[in-house]
Amino acid sequence: MKQPFVSSSDSCASSAKRKRPGRYVTWLSLSLMSFMALMILIIYEARWVFPEIQAYFSQSGNLTGQQLATRSRLYLQDAQVRLLEMPNQDASSDAIVDIELAYGLFDVDIYHQHYDCTSASLSVLDETVTALESNSVPPVVLARELLDPINCLTRIEMGQLDRRGEAINTFAERTRWHHQVLIYTGVLIFLLGLLFWWLHERQLRRAEKATQDTLRWMKRAMRDPLTDIGNRSALQQDVMRQQQQSLGLVIVDIDFFKQYNDALGHPAGDTLLCRLARVIADALPEEATLYRLGGDEFAALMPCENHATLQYYCQQLRKRVQEAQFPHLTHPNNDQVTLSIGATWFMPKQAGFPQAYEAADKALYQVKTAGRDDWRIIAVA
Amino acid sequence: MAAATSKRCLRRYPTARWALGAFVCALLLPMVSEAQTLRLIDGDEVHEVDVEQLRQHSTSRFQLFDPYQGETVEMQGMPFADFLVRQFGRVPPTLRFTAWDGYEVTLGGWGNPNWYLVTSENGQPLSLRSRGPVRLVERDYGNRDVTALREFNDWIWMIRSIEAVDKL
Repeated sequence: MKQPFVSSSDSCASSAKRKRPGRYVTWLSLSLMSFMALMILIIYEARWVFPEIQAYFSQSGNLTGQQLATRSRLYLQDAQVRLLEMPNQDASSDAIVDIELAYGLFDVDIYHQHYDCTSASLSVLDETVTALESNSVPPVVLARELLDPINCLTRIEMGQLDRRGEAINTFAERTRWHHQVLIYTGVLIFLLGLLFWWLHERQLRRAEKATQDTLRWMKRAMRDPLTDIGNRSALQQDVMRQQQQSLGLVIVDIDFFKQYNDALGHPAGDTLLCRLARVIADALPEEATLYRLGGDEFAALMPCENHATLQYYCQQLRKRVQEAQFPHLTHPNNDQVTLSIGATWFMPKQAGFPQAYEAADKALYQVKTAGRDDWRIIAVA
Repeated sequence: MAAATSKRCLRRYPTARWALGAFVCALLLPMVSEAQTLRLIDGDEVHEVDVEQLRQHSTSRFQLFDPYQGETVEMQGMPFADFLVRQFGRVPPTLRFTAWDGYEVTLGGWGNPNWYLVTSENGQPLSLRSRGPVRLVERDYGNRDVTALREFNDWIWMIRSIEAVDKL
């Protein structure tokens, strides 16, 4: 079975498609993402880690702020005092309440789990309350009975303090590690952000340089390198830009320029072209633009409202070149450089450039066939 | 001397012994019964609610892991917001709690339906030794670590009085 044919252009297109997603991840976006990640890291630190520190170190004023064992022990000690003094039944009932409260604070799962004296101590409290209610045991004996639960509670307090200390140490270790990770990560992300930013800046500078180069090349492509005036492309572009303007187009051809070159050499011919370009530019109004169409052919484009104005420009041009008196030793009819001039007058929106050029060229041809060194204007057909 | 005379009297008159026993019980009863009332304070108004009465209104039953007991227990109580509306006519922005063990705290956010006022546990009325007579719990405590009791600081025990605090 034949494989489906894949053309080289298809494969080029697909490879371009494969590359395209990368363009969206620019250095700038990577840099911004890095700085954003840094911000998120800082917010995380402030928003979540700090409350955790508070939870560990700020335990005062809440239910578990003071150890339950401590509070239970204090109630048992109060009960002991009441039992030892025992002046009346009020004291007995107060002692019962104290023991009940101590029981409630003592009977906590975490104490049962970690301190084996808890259950036994709670049983003692239970028996003490029963004895107090039945008034069957002397209060002094009961006060002594409470010593074991008090000892147990003291053990629990010490043990819990140790456990809390261990927890705080562990937390401190974790916090230190966390901070180290945070600092290194923060610095790394920051450096990455700077690196991406630098790459972005470099990319930007390269793009700017490429644009400048392109513009320079585009500009160069529109100019004649010898005379530094516009070329045919520039002329067409300028006509396109002035669609609504009434324009005059003048085409100039140097008479017997080949003979001039043959006699004096091409460098002299080039010099003549440059000097003539200046003379033509001076002869025409300031708003006129001069172009070299190739060889010895020049063109000028200028705003022109009527035939008379264009006629005046042509006369002026011929007159100024005559005044310049550029010598032309091989000229068959003259001893100086002369020009053949064809012109037309048009509005680009109504008659396009090709028609205008054709009309001006026709006028030039008529001048040449009539013996040169003259000018003629032909209206656009 | 006086004690010896009293003992002789008690031996001679058995009814006097019963009377004395009743007197002792009468002295003890206020303490026991005191822990069976809940004091509610709203501005200048103070009234006591019988905890037994609250138990009768405790129609919500649910099972919950109590981190302080380390086991799942069946609790009976009522939504705390409903209780507040019934007793205060509103859910005050903050409440000042005083517990039988002397603990005092002022907290807000009691409009949350997650809070329950518990009166019985595993079918038994709460007493001081079971951190009663009434206690606040959260029916759903999310992903909090049940081994970290500091996560349950708001579960107020042994509630003795609740005071509505409209302005802190």
